[in-house]
Amino acid sequence: MTSVRRLARVAFTFVMMNYAALAGLASLGRRRGGWR
Amino acid sequence: MALLFWVSAFVVCYVYAGYPLCLAAWARINGRRPRTQAPAAGAWPSVSLVVAVRNEASRLAGRIANLLDQRYPGPLEVLVVSDGSDDDPASALAGFADAVRLIERPRGGKPLALNAGVAAARGEILVFADARQRFAPGAIEALVSNFSDPAVGGATGELVLDCERAGARAASTVGDGLGLYWQYEKWLRRRESHIWSTLGATGAIYALRRTLWRPLPADTLLDDVLAPMRAVLAGYRLVFDGRAVAFDRAAPDAATEARRKQRTLAGNYQILALEPRLLVPVVNPVWLQYMSHKVGRLIVPWALLGLLVSSIALARSGWFYAGVVALEAAFYGLALAGAWLDRRASRPPAAPAVPIDLPRSAPEAR
Repeated sequence: MTSVRRLARVAFTFVMMNYAALAGLASLGRRRGGWR
Repeated sequence: MALLFWVSAFVVCYVYAGYPLCLAAWARINGRRPRTQAPAAGAWPSVSLVVAVRNEASRLAGRIANLLDQRYPGPLEVLVVSDGSDDDPASALAGFADAVRLIERPRGGKPLALNAGVAAARGEILVFADARQRFAPGAIEALVSNFSDPAVGGATGELVLDCERAGARAASTVGDGLGLYWQYEKWLRRRESHIWSTLGATGAIYALRRTLWRPLPADTLLDDVLAPMRAVLAGYRLVFDGRAVAFDRAAPDAATEARRKQRTLAGNYQILALEPRLLVPVVNPVWLQYMSHKVGRLIVPWALLGLLVSSIALARSGWFYAGVVALEAAFYGLALAGAWLDRRASRPPAAPAVPIDLPRSAPEAR
């Protein structure tokens, strides 16, 4: 069960990190330099 | 539709598996490690350590103590640039007397703070650090030793996240995936460095020859990619040095990591606009790696969407496409379960301190 949960978390992180590129593109126009 | 399917599948497979395999083979066959040689005593280049901060007074004393504990064998100056902080950084630094120069400037963003720090710097080598992380002993010395090779224009160290430690993943709800991703990313960077140059630095720990610095535009999102890649475009190497280690915490949850990642990927789009030369073969000496690694990551989400749409459209035409749809459904279902687990997990309390005691006393070879 623990390994399934881990797999689910890894899959979610993969999807989230990849689709962040689309959100990043959408937000590019309204971004300003700042702090990370 | 079949063309869309196969092109999309190729992009996803190439970016995440094909390119790393090619890279591993390339690094093995034609690796060119930098000719690093520690300078003789008294011959170490002068270093300016630039730390840009905004409202980090609570961390400053510990961070500066960590930097001064490095005991760099050559001349070292520490510059803290406060970008409109209103938490009195001068008081936080009062205990360090002349060991630190504080530059206070009106709020303008990190890129302008870095520009101000570099303009005031006198060292031959610039070392950049943030307030939050901690350096392992000998990190600055390891970074600077790379500059004994005249082809090296910049050096980036290795950022170790707490979630990479076994048993430490509970501190972040996305620690499992993030730890794996970061190890994969560093694996790529190490091999890109062996071939010629890595494609950006880690903002938490990197160094650059001062002569190669060009002032950053005020709205720069990824200063740690733009500044080093300008050095690469000028014909210099940017090397990854696993002996120079900094420690940090992973983002506590998916929302925080998603914001960070959005910013990083938006920054990668922005850099293409700021430095379109990166897209020109020959002009960019690491063009193939750049297209495969950085531009590839921008294309992959479109390819994932293309794969999903085309495989659904083609599902009735054969068992193969139906099987791919089933695999995608299982994968996205798993990801949805992961999202639910992330939402359900209570937000962990902020770690009391950056874990500077990570078991990393023996830095690995580059």
